[in-house]
Amino acid sequence: MLLSESDAKAICAKALSFTKADDARVSLGGDAHSNLRFAAGSFTTNGYREDAELSVTVWMAGKKGSATSNELDEASLRATVAQAEELAKVSPVDEEYVPTLGAESYRPAGGFVEETLHLPLDARARSVADIIDDCQKSGAVAAGFHQTRGSFAAGATHHGNFHYGHSTLISLSVTARTLEGAGSGYFLRNHFDVARLDVARIGREAIQKALRSRQPQALDAGAYTVILEPQAVADLLGYSRAEFDARQADEGRSVFSTPGGKTRLGERVFDERLSFCTDPWHPELPGPTAAQDGIPAEKFFLVRNGVLEKLIYSRFWGKKKNQPATPGPANMILAGSAPPVSIEDMVRDTQRGLLVSRFWYLRTVDPRTASLTGLTRDGVWLIENGKIAHPVRNFRFNQSTVQMLAPGNVDLIGTPERVSSSESQGANALLLPALKVKEFHFTSASEAV
Amino acid sequence: MPNPNSRRDFLKRSSLALGAAALPAWLLEREAAQAAEIDREALAGLALAEARKAGATYADIRINRYRQESIATREKQVQEVARTQNFGFGVRVLVKGAWGFAASREVTPQSVRQMARRAIETARANAPFQKKAIELVPQTGAQAKWKSAFEQDPFDVPLERKIHTLLEANEEALKVRGASFVESGLSFYNEQKFYASSEGARIEQYLIRSYPRLNVTAVDSVRGDFQQRAALTSPKAAGYEFVESYPLRAEAEQAAHEAVEKLHARPIEPGRYDLVLHPSHLWLTVHESVGHSTELDRALGWEADYAGTSFLTPDDLGKLRFGSPIVNFVADRTQPHGLATVGYDDDGVPAGRWHLVKDGIFVDWQTTRELAALTRSRVSHACEHADSWGSVPFARMPNVSLEPAPADASLGDLLAGVEDGILIYGDGSWSIDQQRYNFQFGGQTFWEIKKGKKGAMLRDVAYQSRTTDFWGACDGLGGEATYELGGALNDGKGEPTQSNAVSHGCPVARFRRINVLNTAAS
Repeated sequence: MLLSESDAKAICAKALSFTKADDARVSLGGDAHSNLRFAAGSFTTNGYREDAELSVTVWMAGKKGSATSNELDEASLRATVAQAEELAKVSPVDEEYVPTLGAESYRPAGGFVEETLHLPLDARARSVADIIDDCQKSGAVAAGFHQTRGSFAAGATHHGNFHYGHSTLISLSVTARTLEGAGSGYFLRNHFDVARLDVARIGREAIQKALRSRQPQALDAGAYTVILEPQAVADLLGYSRAEFDARQADEGRSVFSTPGGKTRLGERVFDERLSFCTDPWHPELPGPTAAQDGIPAEKFFLVRNGVLEKLIYSRFWGKKKNQPATPGPANMILAGSAPPVSIEDMVRDTQRGLLVSRFWYLRTVDPRTASLTGLTRDGVWLIENGKIAHPVRNFRFNQSTVQMLAPGNVDLIGTPERVSSSESQGANALLLPALKVKEFHFTSASEAV
Repeated sequence: MPNPNSRRDFLKRSSLALGAAALPAWLLEREAAQAAEIDREALAGLALAEARKAGATYADIRINRYRQESIATREKQVQEVARTQNFGFGVRVLVKGAWGFAASREVTPQSVRQMARRAIETARANAPFQKKAIELVPQTGAQAKWKSAFEQDPFDVPLERKIHTLLEANEEALKVRGASFVESGLSFYNEQKFYASSEGARIEQYLIRSYPRLNVTAVDSVRGDFQQRAALTSPKAAGYEFVESYPLRAEAEQAAHEAVEKLHARPIEPGRYDLVLHPSHLWLTVHESVGHSTELDRALGWEADYAGTSFLTPDDLGKLRFGSPIVNFVADRTQPHGLATVGYDDDGVPAGRWHLVKDGIFVDWQTTRELAALTRSRVSHACEHADSWGSVPFARMPNVSLEPAPADASLGDLLAGVEDGILIYGDGSWSIDQQRYNFQFGGQTFWEIKKGKKGAMLRDVAYQSRTTDFWGACDGLGGEATYELGGALNDGKGEPTQSNAVSHGCPVARFRRINVLNTAAS
């Protein structure tokens, strides 16, 4: 059961009433999560879980302690507060203390649809079974993950701040693998509204990709022009959001640091048609309305027309650097200023290149350049003379995401679409376009399917 | 049926058994906060009775408490001191060949009945569409209590002592000229697990894990360059004695020197090199290439949507050459201080030890009761695990380790056989494909090997290889004296993803002619 705003407020107020600390902040969050997995053409595991957790942070004579518990009865709240106080008493002074926020006003963002939480179990079973059957009819074996989630997040402070938000999520990923094991396709989408998730499309796209990726041919590794489907863009950019941290950049340990101890703020780091923004009220991507420590979230640009416009300041670092604390980001939107180009037109526009559907196992290789390694997965196709020629084997890449989006390397930009990174398993939501980039560096081949 | 064992009784017993003088104040407060005593046996009876009524062929309930303490510092400041605890239960039923699972933090009779019914409803909703009925190999229900190997419960150690240990290490690092930043931390984990099954099992387990860590950054702001060197520690299933015995101060000083040295180290020239890999590095390569490829659920396609499948197939068992003849990998859930060491798994099966690769040949899988039902041997290797009361158990990795050479061989002995190579310490960047063929690993420090001797530091090194090629290129192993246990607390698998703590022991090892790239140039 999700806690309502009034119940959450009462619990937060009660926890705060139990402390005599000089300052205190509580956060209360929880979810009800239901899922069904399937693989090898049958159901495997499933689960339903209800949980909620309260975190208390107190400052006593400038010293900080935190405690968290998912037991929310009065005696447990008292005990959690007592633990936080006990930890504060024996801790050194918190040099990064910033007084907690007072009352703020928050503009609702939406993103909660009650029906999403009440998908009947038999309807879920039938719709997943239909996908398994469709795969079988097409000569493929289905695997995948279906989940629905309702969650809430509340916060309150000693100085009178209170905020509450709730949201829903439904996601479905399908991997279709051809029976002989030579082709594999994947498709993932999510939404906050059960009525807006196109289940049939997800199954259909996974099957088509599996069939089209059969019998891949070997191709030498090297630098290629690539067209990245929105899923592949999500897998790349969903991984590297932390790059925008201001403190890391100011301390000289970020891709946005420059020689001489400065940062690249104000510099045209990316292609001039690209803008990264965050907007909690975007109708397709409603985000939380409270950002760090309860600051009301706002719409703003991190990158506008290719220029690095903003880095993300914590409240402490902002105070130290005389900068406002950053009200977000609540979500991530990448948009192009040029007229959007469809993937089909990107292919038609390509003499020789690769179409990539998904990336896998991304890890940072060099934080100085935001260089990542990882592999393609579930479909790579060679494009020749404006047409898909044939599927090719997977590759490992080593590529800086900043260099990939740098001026001169971005060719075409598609229409932003609501996607989710595959490593988040459908839990996050991003609004990203397909991209055609001129050079992308593959360093070795992988025979994995 | 055993006597009902209350959590309070268990804690008292545990505390005495572990030789603690007294429970810490915060724990007593927590205990006092329990408005109602939790009678786990009675709650188990309710869940199992609901399952029986529904005709379940198998059911279990896990009632677990998880505690964590973490301290994070940077330079001279303590950034975070936090304690977390999480308590709840999960009921799993097998009805008409289909699973159902439901869990809640509300540990009350009413909630247990509700979740048991929800699990049954789920199984019934899924059963008509279940293409393959789930089967478990039989298991006698055990009555047991088990605790992991530790001397001093870290939750009993005063916080001031822990903070002092970290700040002292930070100070040591910052004394080194050129060391710009240092972050350090201590994390401690305690799992109190209760498992009851429809087969009569009643199992209590108490696990302690500890993790000291540190990372130094050297910034050359003039050139706009920075380098990092993390400590070579790994978490262990051990108590505070592990933290006290670990030379964190000395490690901090060495890490600081090496972070600074890295700024001016020679970039690697890409090419093929002989590699000598220290256990602080090699454990992660073992984890990714051996640990994951030998999971039977992956080979059967059960993880195809996320974690992936495996290049190994059931037909390869007993035939496929995984590595050179000196390569032996053992799976072991009984190894002292191994992070995946338990008394029993979450299917109620006692932990064991077995070979995955023997004399270079792939000989066995990691299995659970559900997976074992699909094998010829029909023996579960006790790999069932859930990371929380709220997570459904499934196949997770045991400790998987590379056995040392039977004869004594030192790091120097392995270096002696190398004309032109690289010696690597510590785990760095890592990535492997979804069938566990193609991988790339970085590290913390890289040293040239010239004519059998360790030479100058190198930088920007990563190697790429293919699992069976790599292990086939292994031609030298250190002896028992070089064996160390590495590992991680956060191995991710499953949907929704679950964390698994797992260790990997290795000796130093040598590999011939491996492809090395320059990560700055690529």
